[in-house]
Amino acid sequence: MSGGQAAVQTGHEDSTSAAPTRRRILPAAGVLALGLVVPLGLLTAWTVAALLDQLPEQILPPPWIVFDTLLEGLQDGSLLSSTVTSLERVAEGFAAGALAGLVFGTAVGLSKTLREFVDPLFLTLSQVPTLGWMPIVILIVGIDEGLKIIVIGWSAFIPVVLNTSQGVRDVPEAYVELSRVLSFSRWSKLTMIVLPSAVPSIFTGLREGLANGWQTLVAVELIASFEGLGYLMAYGRQLFQLELVLSAMIVVGLIGLVIHGLLTLAENHLQRWRPETPQ
Amino acid sequence: MSLIAIAGRERLSHIAPPPLRFIGRHLRPLAVPIALLVIWELLARAGAADPRFLPSLEEVVARGVAEFSRGGLGFNLLASLERDLIGFVCGSVAGIALGLAIGFSRLIERLLGPVLLVHRQIALFAWVPLISMWFGGGEAGKIVFIALAAFQPTLINTWQGVSGIPRSYRELADVLTFSWFDFARIIALPGALPQIFTGLHAALIYAWTATVGAELLLNIAPGIGGRMNEGQHLFHMDLLLLCVLLLGGVGVVFNVIAGSLERRLLRWRIP
Amino acid sequence: MKFAHIAALIAGLLATAPASAETLIRIGYPGTGIDDRPYAYGDYVAVANVQQLVEAEFKDVPDTKITWTFFRGAGPALNESLAAGQLDFAAGLGDLPSIVGRSRGLQTKYLASAGSHDALYLAVPPDSQLKTVEDLKGHKVAQFRGTNLQIATDRVLEKHGLTEKDIRFVSLDSNAATAALVSGNVEASFGGSEYLDLAKRGAVKIIYSTKNDDPTLGRNSGLLVTAEFEKAHPEFTAKVVRAFVKAARFGSDEANRQAVFELWSKAGLPVESFEADFKDERLAHRLSPIVDDFIIARYKDQAERAKAYGLVKKDVDIDSWFETKYLKQALLDLKLENYWSTFDAKGQKVAEGEVEHTKAASN
Repeated sequence: MSGGQAAVQTGHEDSTSAAPTRRRILPAAGVLALGLVVPLGLLTAWTVAALLDQLPEQILPPPWIVFDTLLEGLQDGSLLSSTVTSLERVAEGFAAGALAGLVFGTAVGLSKTLREFVDPLFLTLSQVPTLGWMPIVILIVGIDEGLKIIVIGWSAFIPVVLNTSQGVRDVPEAYVELSRVLSFSRWSKLTMIVLPSAVPSIFTGLREGLANGWQTLVAVELIASFEGLGYLMAYGRQLFQLELVLSAMIVVGLIGLVIHGLLTLAENHLQRWRPETPQ
Repeated sequence: MSLIAIAGRERLSHIAPPPLRFIGRHLRPLAVPIALLVIWELLARAGAADPRFLPSLEEVVARGVAEFSRGGLGFNLLASLERDLIGFVCGSVAGIALGLAIGFSRLIERLLGPVLLVHRQIALFAWVPLISMWFGGGEAGKIVFIALAAFQPTLINTWQGVSGIPRSYRELADVLTFSWFDFARIIALPGALPQIFTGLHAALIYAWTATVGAELLLNIAPGIGGRMNEGQHLFHMDLLLLCVLLLGGVGVVFNVIAGSLERRLLRWRIP
Repeated sequence: MKFAHIAALIAGLLATAPASAETLIRIGYPGTGIDDRPYAYGDYVAVANVQQLVEAEFKDVPDTKITWTFFRGAGPALNESLAAGQLDFAAGLGDLPSIVGRSRGLQTKYLASAGSHDALYLAVPPDSQLKTVEDLKGHKVAQFRGTNLQIATDRVLEKHGLTEKDIRFVSLDSNAATAALVSGNVEASFGGSEYLDLAKRGAVKIIYSTKNDDPTLGRNSGLLVTAEFEKAHPEFTAKVVRAFVKAARFGSDEANRQAVFELWSKAGLPVESFEADFKDERLAHRLSPIVDDFIIARYKDQAERAKAYGLVKKDVDIDSWFETKYLKQALLDLKLENYWSTFDAKGQKVAEGEVEHTKAASN
């Protein structure tokens, strides 16, 4: 869960940002229309197959049943409360992990000695798939909220530490020189020079941390919980209610999209805020 | 995990010991783990911690020796690795193929791009229930899940790698009336190779996570995940710690292999 | 059916390719022993498995191979495998998962009963303040969702004026639930005979059981075959049923009581657990393969309740599900037509079978 996705995002422009340069050739509406062809085509094929009774229900229930289930879940509040529970868990775990990661990452970035002491251990521990920690954490803290916060927090902690320490280390020499000339105190140097200059890197860490946290949430909820979107999916799986599984997946995807959108917005904002970043 | 994220290229060197300036420095990376082990052993001996949560070091070592001499855990590790590699190969081949197609054809990119972008936002583990219902929770379901995990990063990176090829190259290819195949072979593939490799590196780590997840969430089968289940149900903390050690060890080995291949690849490209 | 075929094809390609000429007879069992041992217990399926009765039945048939799969994820996981076309027989599939599967369009035939009157136990930690089912309200309780434990639990709750919504249920499989209960992660757990041994060792205490309650509260399970296999291989289906009837015959005979318990103990539970589970109960009470009015009524009732509890979304046709010609033929061939008793829909004995006169072997 941590890892792969994060790796893909780091250091490479995202697919969304790669596209605009080429998009200008076609009018926006045309691009939108083309983008909708496949989803609409699939939806139509799905609907037609269901209408013609060509799609066994144990493979894919008709789209309108999935839609009904979504509506039903929203009306009786079950889907809504599961979503809220899941979001709360991610928020708490992410906040804890990110905060700890910022502090630890800054410390590791600033001190070469500390880095030499903890880097290898940390890098090795970060190689264990987050899910692999779960049985141990379950034995120690049980299956309640504590488990979720710890596991989500840990998965967010890793990229935040890595990117923060990198960002702190990469502060341009000229800035450090400047702070020396101005004889800044350590604290001023940290808050006025080092951290601001590390912002883009820290932001990358936070973004990866959030993505990891969201991934981990679903996994941990599938394993043990009595509420949340992952729980709804597990419930749907146990009772073979694919429409429930699919509607929970739709919500998971939508939230993923919203998070992605918000982060992209924040990133653009950030870039405007620090236009003259020397890189 | 995010190792590669950080690892980018140069950061990976931190896994390797720092240059031998002097011995004390060289030992620094070992200091913290050794200190932790000592504290652990002291706590376990003093009986300060619940032995259920903190088995003594000897227990873990004894368990490790017993497991590997009887072939128990070694056999499980091999089973996990086999599953992992099959899924990785299936997923990354599909990811590279689709990534190339999307990267080459603007039409395909416009058609599939948005779908794939949305697909990427669905957390990987959210596919587990659907996959187990479609493919069963046995070996097939597990491999499909692992392949899906490997598919996403290879696809995205291949796509970006190919899109990143300078426009002038494409125009040049047009002028030279390259066939589609020649363009792919001579320009696109070599040009996109570094990023395809980044994708493969990520896929390797992702697939390993998915392997553990599949073994924990789907039907019981030989593998590290199955042993972790056993350790959890029987309160065998020594077994669990051993499994975590193995999981991390495999991750490190994967990273080192991928990292050195990646460096070699770069060296081959740059001169 | 196209998608199913493609999915099955991919699945088939991915699975290790079976030898082509061989006919595989793939039997699935919804459960494992303690610590995921690949053994069944508490039913005649375990007898057939351990004594290799199905294998013996096919000994003279060339190019056939029997495979057994034990599902940690019990009925729901077995259903997934059925849907993916990876199984031919479901031996001992619980009432709820089989009804759920049928409601979702899994094409199966119900061949024989594989268990009835299976007891449900409610276990709590030894120092727990919980004393009755009513006390569970608002507490965190383990339940194996989607198995026949769930509907049995729901019925027990209903009888005690509760619904699933009154309790914070955590879905855990049997082994995980035991671990969670013992370590205090859940406050109570509904389960089967696996808790009797823990209770005897003082690790849990049992505060409720359906054993002496309403007989219709017991759990049922069945022997099912996929419609596809039954159509393609009716003669093999007959053989499999005959093997299981032999197992049921052995398992129902009181003279074999000790032998059966010992055979079940391969699953990791001590013989005493089964002695306690079957206390004051004859083996045939649970192990009879007969599909009589009682069984049919139980399934109809369960299907209605499953819908009322929201576990299935639509009415499930029960009558057309049963295909008992193989069972009848097997009983005839093995001269067991009068071996088991039959019961009417209310559970009253209609005809007494010879099995009621079998006696435990004198020690």
